[in-house]
Order: sequence, then structure tokens, then C-alpha cells
Amino acid sequence: MNAPILTYVTFLPLLGVLAILFIPQRSEAGKNAIRWVSMVISTLVFIVSLRLYFDFDPEVAGFQFIEKYSWIPSYGITYFMGLDGLAFWLVLLTTFLTPLTILSTWTAITKRVKEFQVAMLVLETAMLGTFVALDLFLFYVFWEIMLIPMWLIIGVWGGERRIYAAIKFFLFTAVGSFLMLVCIIGLVYFHNQQTGELTFNLLSLYNTDLVRIYEILFFGAFALAFAIKVPMFPFHTWLPDAHVEAPTAGSVILAGILLKMGTYGFFRFAMPLFPEGSAFFAPLIIVLSIIGIIYGAMVAMVQPDIKKLVAYSSVSHLGYCMIGLYVLNRHGVEGSILQMINHGISTGALFLLVGVVYERRHTRMISEYGGICRPMPIYASIFFLITLSSVGFPTTNGFIGEFLILLGVFEVNKAAAVLAATGVVLGAIYMFWMFQRVFYGRISNPKNEKLKDLNFRELAYLLPLVAMVFWIGLYPNFFLSKMHSSVDHFISQVKISSPASPVAVVEHHASVDKTPLDKSAAKE
Amino acid sequence: MSDLGFSFSLSQLWQVAGGQIILIIAGLVLIFVDLWLSRDEKTDHVVTMGWLTALSFLAALWYMTGPGWRLNEIVLVEVFSAEKFGLFVSAIVLMAGIFASLLSIGYLRNNQLGRSEYFILLVFAVYGTIAMVQSVDLLMMFIALEVMSLSVYVLAAFLKDDRKSQEGALKYFLLGSFGSAFFLFGVALLYGLTGTVNITKIAQLLAMGPLLENPGVLVALAMLMAGLFFKMALVPFHMWTPDVYEGSPAIITGFMATAVKAGAFGIFIKLLSVAFTPMLAYSGQPEFQSTVNLAAFAAYWKPLLWWLALITMFVGNLIAVSQRNVKRMLAYSSIAHAGYMVLGILAANDEGRMGVLFYLFAYTLMNMGAFGVLYILDGQEGKAQTLEDYHGLGFKYPTLSFLMSLFLVSMAGLPPTAGFIGKFYLFAAAIKEGYLLLAALGILTCVIGVYYYLRVIWMLYMVEPSHEVVAGRVGVISMVALIAAALGIMYFGILPDGLAQVANVAQQSLALVF
Repeated sequence: MNAPILTYVTFLPLLGVLAILFIPQRSEAGKNAIRWVSMVISTLVFIVSLRLYFDFDPEVAGFQFIEKYSWIPSYGITYFMGLDGLAFWLVLLTTFLTPLTILSTWTAITKRVKEFQVAMLVLETAMLGTFVALDLFLFYVFWEIMLIPMWLIIGVWGGERRIYAAIKFFLFTAVGSFLMLVCIIGLVYFHNQQTGELTFNLLSLYNTDLVRIYEILFFGAFALAFAIKVPMFPFHTWLPDAHVEAPTAGSVILAGILLKMGTYGFFRFAMPLFPEGSAFFAPLIIVLSIIGIIYGAMVAMVQPDIKKLVAYSSVSHLGYCMIGLYVLNRHGVEGSILQMINHGISTGALFLLVGVVYERRHTRMISEYGGICRPMPIYASIFFLITLSSVGFPTTNGFIGEFLILLGVFEVNKAAAVLAATGVVLGAIYMFWMFQRVFYGRISNPKNEKLKDLNFRELAYLLPLVAMVFWIGLYPNFFLSKMHSSVDHFISQVKISSPASPVAVVEHHASVDKTPLDKSAAKE
Repeated sequence: MSDLGFSFSLSQLWQVAGGQIILIIAGLVLIFVDLWLSRDEKTDHVVTMGWLTALSFLAALWYMTGPGWRLNEIVLVEVFSAEKFGLFVSAIVLMAGIFASLLSIGYLRNNQLGRSEYFILLVFAVYGTIAMVQSVDLLMMFIALEVMSLSVYVLAAFLKDDRKSQEGALKYFLLGSFGSAFFLFGVALLYGLTGTVNITKIAQLLAMGPLLENPGVLVALAMLMAGLFFKMALVPFHMWTPDVYEGSPAIITGFMATAVKAGAFGIFIKLLSVAFTPMLAYSGQPEFQSTVNLAAFAAYWKPLLWWLALITMFVGNLIAVSQRNVKRMLAYSSIAHAGYMVLGILAANDEGRMGVLFYLFAYTLMNMGAFGVLYILDGQEGKAQTLEDYHGLGFKYPTLSFLMSLFLVSMAGLPPTAGFIGKFYLFAAAIKEGYLLLAALGILTCVIGVYYYLRVIWMLYMVEPSHEVVAGRVGVISMVALIAAALGIMYFGILPDGLAQVANVAQQSLALVF
């Protein structure tokens, strides 16, 4: 516990950057060396981050692994890091997905390998930093740094319309986050006026009492920044472009981790900092989430491009995460967090799978395929398992996440639950329909007859994801048990504005502990 | 302060104006060095002259940050003051000068311009800027302003065979003279009303009260501000900027956008916070108890600056988007940067003044760096300056392109660069004073800025080359200077507090100019 493990985990990838910079990439051997260094370093990061699992104390509601050093003392800015039950899983998700993603770039990225791997590792540092930062300034710095490598990954290694997609991604995010910066500073000075303390420390800022109008304004700005990232309907338009144009690895990271920063931002910053503003916007956000769930699913259904289909399915899935967060009960919030992890795994895997056939056929159009389960049986099986996970089939992770969320929504508002549940049905339709068109039937295109099945490397990065799908699906308590105290803490923070809330939260505890799901999970 | 107005000794003069004296001597010596070096091999003398210029700037920088900085009392010869604020701005100007002289060696060689009066003019331009910042006497301020301006006019016209350079210089000269005339008119009015040109005395007279009611003082302030806004290139006083910045030699453009601007911002802050605003009231001087009256003054210029800041940020950023020429784009963007800095002046608090100083420092590093890369990629002035020329250069010239990207990212205000921290300080200062709306609108213009800065980077990295562009020779000296600038940007972007505290000490010293 004493070692600054979060600093190690966060900045270890930069060490890899340093190493990579000194490897020339003229020859194929050099390129391979760069790939291996990148792979080894990111695996190392994963191994180091596993240490967190053993030291993480699930009983603690607050933050663990705290590191705090003075950074810019005249503004009360600190280098302040820590983990709670949500950030903990997101950090592990990041360190888990990154090496798999890097492994997938072996044959996909053959040009400018060095630059690509540097961008990936810098991106990993920035993502991890975003999840562990507990100082608003530090958080903002990581949040912004993250944009640049992602922008480059889309813009340099992307498809035809890569520049348009890349700059759209950048500007959308920048508008939100620049406004957020203004509001961060505003919040800090309001806090300064109240307490005389100038600090960017998140934990102190939680206690700021703002006038209602500023709560609403500031929440609005924070929510805009995060809603763009999530992305919530109607701010989602950058997402399909970015996903379609990004190289496979970029899409995986984008869907798997970057989108989670939006929901994470709501959980960590927007909602607990401005509970009143959050309550004010809650109906709007819930409605937008439901629209996002249904709209994303319906648009996904008609996409001719597999990748775009998966991209729109993200809009739908993230709608679940948002609504789960906003019902503010234990089921909803835990389901939402689990769904974030699920989405990272299953959508990440889907993008990787699309990348596999794209490398072979250089097209992602559903109509180009058909009947390819015969030449590629292993591929088809894995694709099927991931599809099950994506539609929320019982025994897979998707089921647990969506079930918990719908349970949570049902406790609060039955109509909303019914509407949100239609997303599950629609999800099954578009995923299975796509699966059927791509894999079943006769081989309509002769080019598909001699497709090679998965090779060892591809299996190596897909199987861990499949394993995770069933791990979460069969034994969710392993994951949920680490969240309970953080989630309860979060709910009490956000609900605190309504006078009756403390009692409600206590009652809620009592009821939640006896839910059937927890029992069944415990049995397994 | 004696009643006669003068208590003068050589040692005192050296203490206060040591940096300036070093520069005057250096300038004169350089003229003779230039004469001694034989005429026919002049191109090589560019190296000698360039190094000598840089060394003389370094000597002045040493004096001003060493012995000059340690002076406990701010010695005053009624004309100059050696408060840390002036020293800090001077240090920025000297830093810009050092970058300019080192980069110019390569620039002049690439363009086959072997005339070494270039460096002599540069020395006097720097001298003029420093003398301007250090003076507390409006007349001296004006003279120094003219020394600076005249040197820069000639430097702007240095590309003799280039019509753009000539046109720009003429425009600069005409409009600059116009601006100077406004400034001088303001000085004359103030002298007529108060009977003095010393800003500390003017401050004392204003604090007594009756003069504050006199509209003449407001007119004088307006005139002074108009004159300075020309140099600061705030909208709507910016009309000359794009043409001049585009036409001038690249390094001189960089110099104008940083050193000249730093000087203008420096004396603007000095004028406001010494003569016209309540900052004095905090210094505990008995004459300045009437804070209320002085605050009334702020009610006049603050709304003005509010609008100026907004318009400057919007216009600068918006027009920069439509530019296809990178140099011209940087010119418009420098207008936008001036707008950000006005936020700090508008805030008129410690953080704001500190922020302006920090930003000027960071801006000098990134802007000189950007123009340094620009001249190398250019090959010869004007040959490869458009966005089309930059297509795909990123992988052909990896180091230069990386440096350019870093400078542009810093200008766009993205972390972890000094440009981000500087912007953060400025906006924080404005927000602290409650200018939340202005800050929000201003930060949206930054998004526009992000777009056109990133556009250059995507031209470099994401577009296939459309035609062959051969960059000029990359001198070792230029490379060292550029890398130094890049390291500075990264260092102050990650560990800004040291510099910020020095800047804070510097701005606090303004309260002691008495």
C-alpha cells in the first residue's frame, strides 16, 4: 500500500514510449521489436495493476491507494490520485484491454508503426490518469491529453474520411471540456469564497454549497462535456464517424474505454459535485437515455456497415449505463457500472472481430459477406458468443448488467423500465439479424470461400475477452462485491439534497441486501 | 525623491538601467564590428554578428535577472524605474531577442541576406522595448516607443525585393505613426492637465480627487490606450497586423508578435496599475487612501476592455480559420492571443497580472518556436507557407514537424504545455473577478483556435504530400534554439509554479514604484 502504485501504473506506459523512441523502424525486425516492446510494457502494466486487486479493500467507501503531493501550490492544485469501486474496475479494464488491442495491431498497422505504438501508450497513460485523478485540475489535464493521441490514431491510421471524423471527434469533445474548465475554475472560486481555501481537491469541493442557478449552470457544462463523451443522444453524431474511420485498435479503445469516461465523469464529478443541478436535469437525462437506447438500436438495425452497426449499438448500450446511474438505487448504479465493463469487453471484442474480417477482405459491408461460418468456424463461434453477450443473453455478462439496470429502473419508474426494455429486444434483433446475414446461408461472394480462420495471435487476444464474458456472466458477485460501499456512498452523496434521503438510503440498504440476484450469485 | 526632481549619480544610473546601458554599448560596438569585417564575405559574418547580438542580449539578461533583480530599493532617476515588473517584461523581450538573433543566423543564410545591419536594428529594437518598459516618464516612454518602432519598421521592410515586405512595412509605418501620435497626444493632454509627465506624480495628483472629475483625463487615458492598442494589435486596432506579419521576414514577425507585444502589454499594465487604478491603494501610501475615486476610474476602462477582449478573441480566431497561409494565420492568431491576455488585464487582480506575465513568457517561447520552424520549412521566404505546402511533411521532416506540432498544441492551449497553463491563469483570473460569461465566450473562441492549429498538424501528418517541398537548411544553432523553446514549453507546462511565483513577485512590485 505504501508504494505509489497508481503512479507506477499510470506512468509505466511512458517508459515504453521512451524505449520505443530509440528503436529504428526501417526494417521489419525493427517494427516487430517496437510491437513487442509495446506489448510487453502494456502487459506489464496489467500485471502491476493486478496488484490493486489484492490490496483493494471493498469495505472502504471512500478512496484507496491515495497519493497526494503538492503540484501548483499557489492555486492549491495537487497531484492527487485514488481509487474507489468504480475507478478500480475501469483501471483494470483499461490495463486489460490495452495489451489485447496492441496485439491486434500486428498486421493491421504496418505503416508508421513506431508513431502508432507511441500514441497507444501515451493514450493508455492519459486514460489511466483520467480514472485515478482526484484533483480536478489533474483530471482535466489527463482528460485533454487523451484527445491528442486518439485524434492522431483516427486521423493518421484511419479510413477514407479519417480527417473529418478525427477533427469532429476532437472539436465535439473540446467544446464540452473547455466549458467544463471554466466551470471548474468557477466552482473553485465559489469554494474559495465560502471557505477561504483555494483548492482543486475533489473531496473538498464536494462540500461546496452553490446557489441553485450555479448548480444548474455548472452541472449543465459538466454534463455537456460528459454527455458528448458518453455519447448521449443528441450529442452522439461524432461517434459513428469516429468509429467507422478509426483503425480497429482505435475503435476498441474508443468504445471500450473512452466512452466510459463520460459515464465515469457523471459518477465521479457532475452528479456528486452538483446534486441539485443533477436533480434538475435528471428527467431530461433519463428521457434522453431512453431515446438513446431505442434510437441507437433502431439506427443500428438498418446499418449496412458492421462497424457502424456496432457503433450505434454503443449509443444504445451507453443509454443503459446512463439511465442506470440516474435511477440512484443500488441495482441501477451497480448495473450501470457493470454494464460499463461489459460494454468495454463485448463491444471491444466486436470491433476486434470486425477488424479480423476487415483485414482479410478490406470491407465491412454486411452484403459482402454471407455464409462465412463455413470457412471460418472458430471465428463464427467466437462471434456468436460475443453476440450473445451483446444482446444480454443469460449466463453472459450483458444479461447481468441489463437485468440489474432494468431492475433498478423498475423500482423507480415502471414506464421507463418498459421503454428501456424494448432496447433489449431491438438489440437481439439487430445483432442476430446481422449475425445471420454474415455467417449463415450460402456463400454468396466467391471471395469469401477461402477466408482463413483465426490464427493463434487472433485467438490470443479474443479468448481472454470471451473468458471475461462468462466470468462476469456466471459469477458477477466477484465484481459487484467490490462496488457496494462505493456505490452506496455515491448514492448518499447525490441524494443528500432531498431532506428525507438519509433514511431512504438506509432503508434502501436493507432492501437491497436481500435481493434474489445477490443470493443466486452467492450460491454460485 | 528630491524636490528638484533629480538626484543623479552614475552608479545609480547603472543600477537602474544597467541592462539598457549594456544594450546601447553593444549596439554601438556592433556597428563598428560590422565596419571592420570586410565587405565581400559578409554572409559569413552573419554568424559572428548573430552570436555577438545573442551574447549582448544574454549579458543584459544576466544583469537584469541577477544584480538588477536583487536591488532592494527601486532606485529611480525620475525617468526609469527598476521594479521587478519591468525587469520581468524586459527578460521576456531579451529572451525573444536571443531566439530571434539565433534563428536569424539560419534565416538570413537561407535567404541569402547577408546584411548585418539586421542585427544592429534588432539590438536597438530590443533596447527601445526595454527602455519603454522601464520608464516611468511618459516622454521617455514615447521616445523609447519610437526607438523600438523605427527599428522594427526597417526590419519589417528588410526583404528589399519582396513587394509584400515593402507594402507591409509602409502600412506598419503609417499606421504605427498614427498610433504613436495618439499616444503622444495623450501625453500632451496629461501634461497640460497635471503639469508633469512622470506617472507616479500623475498618480498622486489623480488621487487627490478633483482631476478625476475632469473629462480631459479620460480623453488622455483613451488616447494613451488607443496608441498602445495599436502595438498590442487589439481589434479594431489590428488592421495592420496581418499584412505586416505576412510581409516581414519570418523571424521578425515572430519578434514583433512577442517582444513588441510584450513591451506594449508591459507599459499598458504599468500605466493602468501605477497611474490609473487602485492597485496603489494597497501599497499603504498615505496619498492613496481615496481608493473609491480611483476605483471609479476602473468603471470607465473595464467595460471597454470587456468588449475589446471579446471582440479581439472572436475576430482574431474567426479570421485565422479562413487563412490558407500559415504565416498569415499565425498573425491573426496572435491577435487572438492578445485578446486572451486582455482578460488578465481586465481582471486587474494579482492573478491577472501574473497571468499576463506568464502568458507572455510562454507565448514568446511557442511563437518564436513556431516561426523558427516556419522559416526552415519555408526554404526561402514565401516559397512554402501555405497549408498545401505542408501536406505530408510530418514524416519527411519528423523532428521539425514534431516541434511545430508541439508549438501549435501549446498555442491551442492544450495540456501539458505552457500555453495551457498560461491560458488557465488568465481565465482563472477573469473568473475570480466574476467575468464568468466573458470567460465562457472566450473559451469557445479557443475551440476555434484548436481547429486551425490542429489543421496545420493534420496537414503535416494526415494528408499525403501533394507536391515536392524542400525545406531549407537546418542550422545547428536554429535547432538548438527550437529544442530549447520546446523543452521550455514542456517544462513550464508541467512545473509552472516556479515561474508563476517569480511573475507574481514581479507584478507585486508595481505597487512599489514610488
